[in-house]
Amino acid sequence: MSKTFALRRVHALAEVDLDLQPGSFYSIIGPSGCGKSTLLKLIAGLMRPSSGHVTVAGTTVTGPRRDIGMMFQQPVLLPWRTALSNVLLPIEIRDGSSAARKVRDTALGLLELVGLHGFDNVYPYELSGGMAQRVAICRMLITEPTLLLLDEPFGALDELTRDVMNLELARICESRNVTTFMVTHSIPEAVFLSDVVFVMSARPGRIADTIRVDLPRPRTLEVLSNDRFTGFVKQLRLSLAVGAA
Amino acid sequence: MARLRRESGALEAGALVEPEERLIERVPRVVWLAAVGVLLLSLWQLLTMIGTVSPILLPGPAEVADEIVDSATNIVSGGHVAEALATTVVEILLGFIGAAVLGFGLGVLVGETRIGQTAVMPYLVGFNALPKVAFAPVFVAWFGFGVESKIVMAMFIAFFPMAVDTAAGLASVDRDALLMFRQLQAGRRKTLLKLKLPTALPYIFAGLKTATVFSVVGAIVGEYLGGGGGMGELVRLSAQSLRIDRVFALITYLAVVAMVMFAIVSWVERRVVFWQQGEELEGKAAWPTS
Repeated sequence: MSKTFALRRVHALAEVDLDLQPGSFYSIIGPSGCGKSTLLKLIAGLMRPSSGHVTVAGTTVTGPRRDIGMMFQQPVLLPWRTALSNVLLPIEIRDGSSAARKVRDTALGLLELVGLHGFDNVYPYELSGGMAQRVAICRMLITEPTLLLLDEPFGALDELTRDVMNLELARICESRNVTTFMVTHSIPEAVFLSDVVFVMSARPGRIADTIRVDLPRPRTLEVLSNDRFTGFVKQLRLSLAVGAA
Repeated sequence: MARLRRESGALEAGALVEPEERLIERVPRVVWLAAVGVLLLSLWQLLTMIGTVSPILLPGPAEVADEIVDSATNIVSGGHVAEALATTVVEILLGFIGAAVLGFGLGVLVGETRIGQTAVMPYLVGFNALPKVAFAPVFVAWFGFGVESKIVMAMFIAFFPMAVDTAAGLASVDRDALLMFRQLQAGRRKTLLKLKLPTALPYIFAGLKTATVFSVVGAIVGEYLGGGGGMGELVRLSAQSLRIDRVFALITYLAVVAMVMFAIVSWVERRVVFWQQGEELEGKAAWPTS
């Protein structure tokens, strides 16, 4: 199976041409307003490119589709639904309530995977920010997407929680063989999670630099103190500074 | 001097470590409520005792209490006060239900459609700001002196807050949540039922609570101007014969009706909108004023 994105000359973006390999983790980093989120919405099919096209798994993206999972900066959990019911929401919307009941065990398994065993009947107002984002991860994974689009998924969390969540995300993505495309503002986060980091510059939005991070996997917290990790962080910071100048 | 300062310093430090509970927190709220109530009643009693105001124009608490008891026996034995109260309560309830149903319906139409949000909502908000009681004579002219004009009046006043709050609630949906529903390929109906309406529930209940109070106002105003056999008419007749004590007693019963309706809606709200607790709810539960 191959999955490629070809993206050319999109609205608010200049010539952007990305080719993503299946099973890899990609990050896009750049100043605010450079069109990162626009790019993500284009890939998700939530926006139409004014010219050019997006291809996922061999077919052109014409609108939202089920093999793409999305996650936002806020968990966006529905407060009147339990954690489990929130996880089942995508199935309930796409296939109906009876289909959602059938994947209940899958959903419970996902909650267990992110360390929320026993929290299935808890309402969002009883969850911490990190726990709520874990539920959002489960909700994204329940439809078994092959492409994950993450829009600053942990940007609203404190740094300690963020480190733990990044570790969790690395583990999940490594074990599931999904392609991930993440928008972030954090240089260490981008290096820690990614195989490839795209540096974007603003006005017009374009890819200014591409950095391949060939740190070994699975990535653990020890990677953070690795010399090569620090080297990539420096390289990325420099690249962003050049782009901003 | 030095000693004094040290003492006050120690006191302050003590206050920091173990903040002494203030009197307002130590005494239960019921006691404070009762205290303020007794204070108000005493002021009232005092005012009547000084003798500057004629007891005919301002009867004391005791006289009013007597009248409340008198009316209560009348209500229990099914006398004319009971009939008037039943008439008015029916007017209020029908007006309230009509306003709730129609207000909700129009609110959804306005909140769900682009044309409604851009072109109809401003009219709704504008009408909502009008002194709606001014329309009472119109309804009497249109629907006559029977219960119909009062029901319509109650419905008319209570309808607007219900419609405006419902529409505003639907519009209050989080943008990311809408984006997520779009990404999940939810159609309009599913987005409305699974996202927008639940999100709007706190607003809808705020509208319902305003509507309870407004429907009471509407029915009474309708009766003041359109006669009939309800409580408003009794109040008007009692006031004309300068039985202010009776007027106050009748108003007390109307207040009880309004409070019971408000309490029922609040009770249902706490059970339905269980996820919204704390100050957010308290702000919305504030007694509406007309």
